[in-house]
Amino acid sequence: MSRLAMIGTVVRAGLRSNFGLAILKHRLLVEKKDRWLVPLVGLAFLGVVPLLYGVVLLVQNLYAALKPMGQERAILSFGFLAAQALILLFGLYYVIAAFYFSRDLDFLIPLPLRPGEVMASKFAVIVINEYLTVAAIVLPIVVTLGVVARVGPGYWVNAVLVYLALPIIPLAVVSLLVVVLMRFINLSRKKDAFILIGSILLLVGALAVQVALGRSASAGNGREIGANMAALTAFLTSPNSLLSRVGAFFPPGIWATKAVAAGFSGEGLANLGLLWGVSGLLFAAIVVLAEKLFYRGLVGLGETTGRKKRLTRDEMSRRVSSGRRAKAAIFGREWKIMNRTPIFLLNGTFVVVLLPAIFVLMATVGRGARSGAVGGAGTQVDPMALLKAMASGHPLVVILATALFMTVCGSINGTASSTFSREGAQFWISKMIPVAPREQATAKFWHSYLVAALGVATAGVAAAAVLHVGPPELAAAAGLSLLAGVLLTAVGMAIDLARPLLDWANPQKAIKQNLNVLLAMLADIGILTGVFFGVRALTRAGLGTAAVLGVLFAGLAALSAAGYAALLRFADKRYPQIE
Amino acid sequence: MIELTHVTKSYNRGRIKAVDDLTLAVKPGEIFGFLGPNGAGKTTTIKLIVGLLRPDAGRIAVEGLDIATRSLDAKQLTTYVPDFPAVYERLTGLEYLNFIGDVYGVPKADRLERIDKWLEIFELAPFVSNPIQSYSHGMKQKIVLTAALLPAPRVMVLDEPLVGLDPRAAHQLKDMFREHCDAGKTLFFSTHIMEVAEKLCDRIGIIHKGRLVASGTMAELKALDRTESGQSLEEIFLELTEP
Repeated sequence: MSRLAMIGTVVRAGLRSNFGLAILKHRLLVEKKDRWLVPLVGLAFLGVVPLLYGVVLLVQNLYAALKPMGQERAILSFGFLAAQALILLFGLYYVIAAFYFSRDLDFLIPLPLRPGEVMASKFAVIVINEYLTVAAIVLPIVVTLGVVARVGPGYWVNAVLVYLALPIIPLAVVSLLVVVLMRFINLSRKKDAFILIGSILLLVGALAVQVALGRSASAGNGREIGANMAALTAFLTSPNSLLSRVGAFFPPGIWATKAVAAGFSGEGLANLGLLWGVSGLLFAAIVVLAEKLFYRGLVGLGETTGRKKRLTRDEMSRRVSSGRRAKAAIFGREWKIMNRTPIFLLNGTFVVVLLPAIFVLMATVGRGARSGAVGGAGTQVDPMALLKAMASGHPLVVILATALFMTVCGSINGTASSTFSREGAQFWISKMIPVAPREQATAKFWHSYLVAALGVATAGVAAAAVLHVGPPELAAAAGLSLLAGVLLTAVGMAIDLARPLLDWANPQKAIKQNLNVLLAMLADIGILTGVFFGVRALTRAGLGTAAVLGVLFAGLAALSAAGYAALLRFADKRYPQIE
Repeated sequence: MIELTHVTKSYNRGRIKAVDDLTLAVKPGEIFGFLGPNGAGKTTTIKLIVGLLRPDAGRIAVEGLDIATRSLDAKQLTTYVPDFPAVYERLTGLEYLNFIGDVYGVPKADRLERIDKWLEIFELAPFVSNPIQSYSHGMKQKIVLTAALLPAPRVMVLDEPLVGLDPRAAHQLKDMFREHCDAGKTLFFSTHIMEVAEKLCDRIGIIHKGRLVASGTMAELKALDRTESGQSLEEIFLELTEP
C-alpha cells in the first residue's frame, strides 16, 4: 500500500468514526434502534426552512440595495468572513480534541506513518467536518446571490472551489497555534490546568479582537447599523466599516469574495490562486511543524504524574469519609468529574459564566464609544439604551426579558443534556451500585440545576449592572428562571437518558458533538416559544402584570413539578434497559 | 449463592444467541470458575448475573433474591469486577473508594480497616491520593478490586480478574478468593488460565456457543473423559469446545 493510500485509509476511518457512520448504520439497520430519530431529524431540518427563507429574502433585499452602488460583493464577504470567524473561534476545541485527546491516536502512532502524515490525515477529517458548518452559513448566501444576479459559470465553478478551500486557512491557523501551545503544555505537570487556561486565553483573545474591531468601527465614522437600509448600506460599504476592517484583519475572506464574484476573469483566478496557494502553504507548514513538534507535544500527554506519598494513619482517618448519603456521594462525583475534565468544564460550568460576561463586555465597550442616545439613521444606536427605552413603563416586559436572558444563560448549555453520556464507559458503576435509579437521577438533577442556578445568578448580576434592572423585577425574573430551570433541566436529562451516548473515546463527543445537547436546545427553544405565546394570549385577554405573572409562576411550577416527577419515573424505567 | 434458571440472552433481535437456556447454581462457600472460548458467552453471563444486561428469558437469583424484582437488595450483596477497569479517572483512588463506601453504606471503622488492608496487600497505599488517571492498567485493576472488596459482599462476580495483575498481586488475589469463600461467601469468576481454574476452583463450568457444555468438580469433569487417559483441564476444555 502506498503512503498516500494509507493516509487515505486513515482519513476514511477517521470520517467513519467522526460521524459515527458504522454505529449509526448498525443501530438503524441491524439493531433497528433509534429509528424514531429519522423523522425527528427531518423535522429539525424542516424547522430550519423558515430561517433559510429569511436569509434568502435578506440577501435579495441587500442585493437590490447594494447593486446600484456596485457594492453587492459585500454580501459574499460577510458570509465568507462569518464562516471563517466561526471556524477560527470554535475550531480550537475540535483541533485540540482531535490532535491530542482522541483515543485513535493510540493505534495511529504505532502505524508506519510520519507525524506529519498522521496530523495531515486528522486535519483532513476536521476540514471535511467543517464543510457542514461552512455550508450552513455560506450556501444560502452564495446560491441566492448567484440566482438573483444571474451569474455566469465562472461564479459557480469558483464558488465550489472557494467552498472547498474556505475552512483550510482558519483551521490551519488554529492548528499551528495549538501545536505550539501543546508542545509547551506538555512540559508542565499541570496539563489540564494549562489546557483550560490556554483555551480561555485564546477565546478571550478572539473576543478581545472582535470587541476592538467593533469599537474602532463604531468610533470610526460615527455611523452604525441603523433602523433603515441606508444606514445598513453605509455600514457595509464605508471604507471605515466593520466589514472592511475585519477583511483587512483576515484577508482570505476578501480573496474568497473576489474569486467568486470575478469568476473566470484575471482578478477571479488570481484571487482563487491566492486562496488555494496560501491554504496549501499553511497546510505544508502544519505538516513540517508536526514533524518537529506533534509527537513531542503528544507523547505522555495522557499521563498524569502523581506523587508517591503514603498517608499517615491520622490523614487516612480524616480523608476516609464517615459515610455520606448515596445522593450526596453521586452529586459529589458529578461535580468533581465535570469540573476536573477540561472539555466538560469549558462546555458546561464555564459557559454559564461566559455568556453573561460577554454580555457585560459588549455592553461596556460599546458604551464607551457611543453617546448613549437612541436615534435613527445617522446617529449612534446603543442597543442597551434602546432596550431600556422600549421596556420603560412596562415592568412585565422588563421581568420577562430579564427572565429569558437568565434562563438562556443558565439552562441552554450541555450540562443536563449530557449528564448520562458523560459517564461513558463508566456507566457500569451506576448500574451496579445499590442506589435506585431515581435517586441517582435526583443527584444528577441537582448537579445540573446548580450549574443552571449559577448561570441565573451571573446573568442576574449582568442584567442589574448593564440594564439597571431593579431589585423587584430582578427577583421576579430570577424566580421565573429558576422555575423554568427545573423544567428545562428535567427535559435535557430525559433526552440524554432516552439515548445516552456511552461509547465515546473522546470526551468532546459526550458533550460538544452529542446530538442530545442539540435536541435538548431545540426542545428548550420550543418550550420557551410556548411560554411566549402563552403570555401573549394572557396579555391579549386583558390580564394585568400581577395576574400574568401569577399565572406564569403557577403554570411553570406545575410544569416543573410534573417534569421532575416524570424524569424520576423515566429513570426507574430506563436504567435497567440501558445495556 | 447464585442461581440461573433457563436463562437466554440474544443480540440483534434474536439473531445472535449469546447465552442459550443456561441453568447453573453456585453454592455458598464455593469458588466457581467459568471457562469458555472467546465469544462463548462468559462476559454476557456475568453481565446478566450482576444486572448490567437483562435476560430475554429465565430467572436469575442472588442469595435467593430475584434480580428482576429485587434488584437493589441483590446489588447490595453483590460486587463486580469487569474485564476492563473502566473507572472514574478524574477521581483519586481514595475518592473512588469513598464513593463506593458511601453508596454501599460501609461504616467508617470497617471502611478504614478494609481500605488499609487491601491497599497494603495490593501495594497501592502510596498512590491512593493520586488521580486514577495516573495509574497503570494493573493499578486500575487493583483499585477496582479494592472497591469490590470494600463492602465485604456476600457474592463477588469477576470477569478475568487476573489479567493485568503482577504475579504477587495475582497470588494475593487467589488467597483472597479462598478466604472469601471460606467465610461462606460465593465467588464466580471467568478465566482463560486453565491452571488457575484447575487449582483454585471448587467447581468449574464450561460454556460454548452460549450453552453450558460441562459443569462440576475437577474430578467430575475428568470422569467425562472418554479416553480415560487422565486428561488435564486444558485437554478437556479443548475437546468440549471444538469448533
